[in-house]
Amino acid sequence: MSVRALELVRDPEIAAEISAHLVSLERLSEERGRRATGLAALDELLGGGWPRAALSEISGRRSSGRTAVVRAALAAAISAGESTALVDVGGTLDAHAAMSTTVPNGPPLLWIRCGAAQALKAADLVVAAGGFGTVALDLCDARLRIPDAAWVRLRHAARAQGTTVLVASGARRLGAFAAAAVDLGGAPAFDTEGRPLFARLEVRAHRLRNGRMQAAQSRSSTDGEQLPCVSLAFTSRS
Amino acid sequence: MRLACVYVPQLALQAALRRSPEARESPSALLTIVGKNRPRVTELDSQARGAGVRPGMTAAQASATCPRLRLFTATAADAEAGAAALCDVGYAFAPRVERDGERIYFAADDLSRLYPQGEQAIAQAVQAHAARLGFGARVALASTKGSARVATRAHELAVVPADRPGARAFLAPLPVHFFTDDAELCAAFRRWGTRTAGAVAVLPTNAVALRLGPAGATVARLARGEDDEPFLPQLPPDALEEAVELDYPVYELEPLAFVLRGLCDRALERLAGRSLACAGLTLRLTLDPRGLDVREVPVAAPTREAKILVELARLDLARRPPEAAVVGVHLIALPARVRATQLDILRPSGPAPNRLAATLARLAALVGPENVGTPAAIDSWRAEAIAVAAYPTTGGSSSGSSGGTMTAQPGEEPGLCLRHRRPPEEIEVLMDRDGPAALRGAETTARILVAAGPYRLSGEWWRDAAEGGSWARDYWDVHASDGAVYRLHRDGRSGRFYLDGYYD
Repeated sequence: MSVRALELVRDPEIAAEISAHLVSLERLSEERGRRATGLAALDELLGGGWPRAALSEISGRRSSGRTAVVRAALAAAISAGESTALVDVGGTLDAHAAMSTTVPNGPPLLWIRCGAAQALKAADLVVAAGGFGTVALDLCDARLRIPDAAWVRLRHAARAQGTTVLVASGARRLGAFAAAAVDLGGAPAFDTEGRPLFARLEVRAHRLRNGRMQAAQSRSSTDGEQLPCVSLAFTSRS
Repeated sequence: MRLACVYVPQLALQAALRRSPEARESPSALLTIVGKNRPRVTELDSQARGAGVRPGMTAAQASATCPRLRLFTATAADAEAGAAALCDVGYAFAPRVERDGERIYFAADDLSRLYPQGEQAIAQAVQAHAARLGFGARVALASTKGSARVATRAHELAVVPADRPGARAFLAPLPVHFFTDDAELCAAFRRWGTRTAGAVAVLPTNAVALRLGPAGATVARLARGEDDEPFLPQLPPDALEEAVELDYPVYELEPLAFVLRGLCDRALERLAGRSLACAGLTLRLTLDPRGLDVREVPVAAPTREAKILVELARLDLARRPPEAAVVGVHLIALPARVRATQLDILRPSGPAPNRLAATLARLAALVGPENVGTPAAIDSWRAEAIAVAAYPTTGGSSSGSSGGTMTAQPGEEPGLCLRHRRPPEEIEVLMDRDGPAALRGAETTARILVAAGPYRLSGEWWRDAAEGGSWARDYWDVHASDGAVYRLHRDGRSGRFYLDGYYD
């Protein structure tokens, strides 16, 4: 729809609403392959966000910001009006963080609490249902061996449905099945004036993979050069 | 008004055959126990009749006459389910149905819009639907109940002309015994030399009534295509029921799941005929030697997949096994309409409602219905308190729902998340003068480098002990030597330490 066509809409409110949803073709084609991470620095690191229709991996040890990164991606997808799902092994979701902000008439988060053994199957079901923009699989505390066939099936479903699947785990699990992989390392910061007060988590995010071309670059960079990385900070609200 | 009549001859036998469809290919008969006598054959199909089996034979006699004969025992559960399924044949085509023994009647006027090819097509469609539900049915369309009833006796498929002369001409060649079950009346008409409806129709009604009473007058009127029998239709019941009485007690889950699969298949086939889905199940298990086990099986979203329903029921039975062997299963399915949804033109399209509903049901079967939904707040200050609200399957929005979403406010720094352990894990904590110095739990043993706290929280003092009672906790955020930042608390009453989770 051109600007000239917009002029034909008499009601300025409707015209404003329509124009707010219009994007240029260039921007559309640029964004089609990526979904915003919800964190500007991470978007920059990944060249626009998490890849669509693919698996992406977020790895790191405890308190490295994996859950916060997943939550930011889900929040960004919800803000964009997309349906999202979280497969939560152990049911660790922070309810107060989840409920602190809401979008009126926005799509709700589909939350699936399950054991480690059911996680892959649950994620597979959700992705295969279609219509979910982002599906997060939280395996941070799960101790299980996942066969490659499961990742192949999940990747195939994600590709068929155009879903961004984020897998958060304690160590790298997906290997070459991940289109993008980010490793996180964090250090807590305490305000020490007076009694200590936990203030924030300062995180370094290293890009391990990002598409086929950059995967090759990453492989070469692991030999000698440093991996591309950015700094993130997550503040404590408790 | 045009009425459709569906006649299922030997309904009790056909109802029994619904649970063993493979037996349709072989001769079959129904045994009924009358009083304290041995069970005797009361209904049989044409193959069994052709092989020489006759009503009144005992099981041994019938089996000796026809070795391939499949014998079924008449049960109340089969009879009820069969009668309800017969009504569902009608409810697939009309909102109200009248049932009269082995027949149902429903109004067929509006069906001409759906089947412009004519009434023959309507009759064929009704017969095909009855076949899908496991019935070999005869179907007739007529302007009166009586004409339709007689037509189903005479023909597999019949369309009685709407005008009275046409109906009279249609009925004229039919024998008199199609018009009444009264053998004495038939014999009387035979004595008069009136063997067909056409011959009866020319007799004066008053004279027939004088000699044969009201029953004879009714036959005479029917033969002329006249009928004043009222059509008394009824709305469908709120729930749909299927039942089976087992020949022997079932002790294990797998055989029971096999039985449930058949029940669910039949129930869903009936629901599908009415364009409905199953929104909930109630199972009533008859236990051996006595007792009932009634259980509700929640279904996350209306579904038409038997596999999902069986899986949900199986999970429920596995969680709470019946106290004794099962000798009967009664399944009550709650019907629900799967509605089409208007999507938002300016938003990304979400999951298709039908597929989403099926997926939710599958997820519920996989992880339990209480673990699938959208996070919802609980009126509590306990950090770990959380509830799961039902995920909306219609529309892509959560307007009016209690479900929560996770979004960041514009310009706001991203916040940390606490990964909760539910319930909090009891741990050992070594305290020194400044607070916690070390912790040891099931998965974690670490020195504490920095401890922030304690933050005191208490609440729910108004609750009784039975409801969990009041609580008071001292919380610490601790940076442990393994690099993680944990949140732990000391219970004010017991003095024990618990690990709430870690920040991530």
